[in-house]
Amino acid sequence: MGNILIVTELKDGAIREASYELVSFAQKIGGDIKSLVIGSGVAGEAESFAKKGGGTVYVADDASLANYNVDGYAAAIRAGIDASGADVVLISNTPSGWDVAPRIAAALDVAFVSDAFDFQDGAYIRRIFNGKLDARVKVEGDKAIVSVQPGALAAFDGSSEGSTEALTVDTSGARAKFIEVKVAESKGVDLTKASVIVSGGRGVGDPEKFTEVIQPLADALGGAMGASRPVVDAGWLPHQYQVGSSGQVVTPKLYIACGISGAIQHLVGMKGSNFIIAINKDPDAPIFEVAQLGVVADLFEIVPALTAAVAAAKG
Amino acid sequence: MKILVCLKQVPHQDARLDIDGAGTWIKEDGIKFEINSYDTFALEEALRIKDAGEAEVVVVSIGPDRVTQALRTALGMGADRAVHVKDTEIDGSDALVISKLLAAVGKEESPDLVLMGLMSDDGNTAAVAPMLAELMGIPSATAVMSVEASGDGYKVERELEGGALEVVELPKPCLIAVQSGLNQVRYASLKGIMAAKKKPIDVKGAGDLGLAGNVGAGAAKTHIEKIFAPVKGEGAEIVEGSTDEVVTQLVAKIKELGLL
Repeated sequence: MGNILIVTELKDGAIREASYELVSFAQKIGGDIKSLVIGSGVAGEAESFAKKGGGTVYVADDASLANYNVDGYAAAIRAGIDASGADVVLISNTPSGWDVAPRIAAALDVAFVSDAFDFQDGAYIRRIFNGKLDARVKVEGDKAIVSVQPGALAAFDGSSEGSTEALTVDTSGARAKFIEVKVAESKGVDLTKASVIVSGGRGVGDPEKFTEVIQPLADALGGAMGASRPVVDAGWLPHQYQVGSSGQVVTPKLYIACGISGAIQHLVGMKGSNFIIAINKDPDAPIFEVAQLGVVADLFEIVPALTAAVAAAKG
Repeated sequence: MKILVCLKQVPHQDARLDIDGAGTWIKEDGIKFEINSYDTFALEEALRIKDAGEAEVVVVSIGPDRVTQALRTALGMGADRAVHVKDTEIDGSDALVISKLLAAVGKEESPDLVLMGLMSDDGNTAAVAPMLAELMGIPSATAVMSVEASGDGYKVERELEGGALEVVELPKPCLIAVQSGLNQVRYASLKGIMAAKKKPIDVKGAGDLGLAGNVGAGAAKTHIEKIFAPVKGEGAEIVEGSTDEVVTQLVAKIKELGLL
């Protein structure tokens, strides 16, 4: 397949797990692996990555690259592509990855594959329709920019021969300006400590039903109420109730998902739960893939009856 | 001040998704369509900027005749005029080809701000916004949760993982791709719907945009070879029976977990 360039990403000064997953992805595609580390004061991390599957690691080390900036990072990635002669560029589909990767494809007029979670028989596999279907995507020609779903493959944890090479990047043309990162505000509802979470999704239908149907079951079980993103987006519940990659990541002893179809962003936030019960009318809902027990039925029949039975069992 | 809002019409979120005969997309006959949810937030944000001052809001969408409905809805909500890019040659285009068509519209319109959703609910590529910005030669930000005028541009907050926000300043002209939930989307009023009937929808083909022969499957650099139901793992054990029977089994499990 020729040359593959892995664009790594740093978080809190260290190369993140997702970048090591890209090594596994690159090995699956097959080819000569090279890597790119972007940041400020990142020589140590680059040295380390070179010995852990990164191969020749190009280092774009510049004070202006200390924080993510779409223009500066695009310049660094293009310099990395030029230096490595890469055909395929792999980048994690994270908030910075999805922000910059398509720009590179458009600038170079090459194929772009978004959020691939696997590579099989010469094609990339990715989710479509919010997780309801998968697609096999073929690329015309040799060149492609591919963003990869974090967590899709196990991170490479072997060692390898590798070395680093400094890369000069001109970031003077940057127009977008990084100001600051605001950390999440302290949450009014800390779902991460709840032993039982009863969550509702779009299937709950309206905000009153959360109070009338979902909250009582959570109360009966001595747990907390959660919600999926569409519920929060619609303003039915405040953001602090949101379980998912952009909300809280939870691992209760029991998670009961009511009327939640199971978009990836929600699954990421709750699939680590000890036990999952899903109640949904649609038997094909992806939530049943991560649940241990499933009920294909109207939540408005099951949940109130379950609440009453739980209350009765407690005496 | 001119705002260009890019809208996609997608299958309704509750539509039944059956795979078509070629196995490369879903059957679109007989299903309901709606404006892509992310794009409704982008349109709302544009209308709020318009409501707060002087701005013309132009909506653009690419697709067959059915897209007229989405554009009429947008006009009913308060957009001023619409561009409908419609051409059977466009079928089979990938995100990059779509971005080239939108960039051609962008060149004609020369907006101060382009607003659109982070991604579509069908293809989920999240590719068009950054590609369009690159092709228009303007800065961009994606997954934006708030937009505030600042100096000669905008200060925006991008959603990061775990609820953190990245604050970025963009000079005009720029493109902002919004995350869902940054505002509460209005409904079209009856008055708005009536007024929309008089608002113009300008229909353009690939040739009108200088891209004749450069769109469609032949121009695409990626192709969907096949779509299929996700490979199932073990999956859930499905509890069956009457409501009482189901509840009895669920309670037994909850007891087994030591939670009752």
